[in-house]
Amino acid sequence: MDLILSPIPAPLKALPNAPSATPASPSLGDLGFTPQQSQPNAQLQVLLDKRTEMLKIHQRLGLITTIPMAAALITGPMATAKGKNGQPITEPTTANLDFHAALGGATTALYFTSAYYAIRAPRVPGTEKHGAIRLHEALAFIHLPGMVLTPALGIMAYKQENAGEKVHGIASAHGAVAYTTAAAYGASIIAVSWPIHWKFWEK
Amino acid sequence: MKKIFLLALLLAAPPVFAQLDTQWVIEQSTLTYHMSHPMHQVDGVSRDAKGKGVCHAEECDFLIATPVKSFDSGDTNRDLHMIEATRGAQFPMVVVRTRFPVGDTASATIYADLEVQFAGQTAHYAHVPFQRATQGNQVRLTGTILATCSDFKIDRPSFLTVPIKNEIPVRVDITWRPM
Repeated sequence: MDLILSPIPAPLKALPNAPSATPASPSLGDLGFTPQQSQPNAQLQVLLDKRTEMLKIHQRLGLITTIPMAAALITGPMATAKGKNGQPITEPTTANLDFHAALGGATTALYFTSAYYAIRAPRVPGTEKHGAIRLHEALAFIHLPGMVLTPALGIMAYKQENAGEKVHGIASAHGAVAYTTAAAYGASIIAVSWPIHWKFWEK
Repeated sequence: MKKIFLLALLLAAPPVFAQLDTQWVIEQSTLTYHMSHPMHQVDGVSRDAKGKGVCHAEECDFLIATPVKSFDSGDTNRDLHMIEATRGAQFPMVVVRTRFPVGDTASATIYADLEVQFAGQTAHYAHVPFQRATQGNQVRLTGTILATCSDFKIDRPSFLTVPIKNEIPVRVDITWRPM
């Protein structure tokens, strides 16, 4: 067996200009992230800022909407004629009717303004939605048509009441549609708040 | 004579290799931030961290990074809000650097001085304890970095107009393997 001996290379310290044999401190470039992951994207930041701003307004208006909505639900029975067919009917006072109608109007205006900010908030490309936001958005398929129908039926009911008639026909569904809409709306708020940490005084 | 010389050379070789620098890479990782709100307790998890460590004769030099958008809290809307609040599109990476003496790597607890770059800011955390466990040739480090929003000048996000707590502790669970 022939063995070849090579001279041992001189230590690199002897060559001051030679690259160091010891690995340099690790740098971000060593880790293998793609430019898409590691490069700043100023446009995306602007888009996210605008999105957050619009969704904050949506959230605030959405919460404010619950106040006239709850008040309209409470005053609803006071704006309805009472009494069975064939018996004397007690008409609601004009004040009660007008107050309930004003609350309904305020609810509708606030609701659609809030909805505008949610719908117009910019979408982030390449984002697949998951989590509570999906239920929050799905419930809009109930309360959005509900918020169109409720005032429409309310106007019909208001006209019938003012004409001295007992509310009849499709207008008589006003209350049921309003309760369903409010329930879906409340569920939508709870959906994005869930799971709620009830013992908020504990860490 | 030649054979004897080569044998002598080979016998002398192991200490030479032992003195060479060792390099480490992340085998698997879980980084979890915890966010507290009076109504909510949320954990955001990232498993996309990459890292490299180099141990020289006396000191180990480690770098760990993960994309901000890799944290998943279970809700897309909240994650996008987190990226916005932490300026994660402008500063897309969380980068952690640390150095500690080689001698410490044998301890059950490693105390590391961390430099964390996040949200365009750099914060330093001194003497952060990490539990060390060896699994074969792999080393698992676990610990918690007691970070806060104010450390990185993050405007605390709010929900139902109430801001989250300032404290956002980050639980670290990283398994390293030699390269």
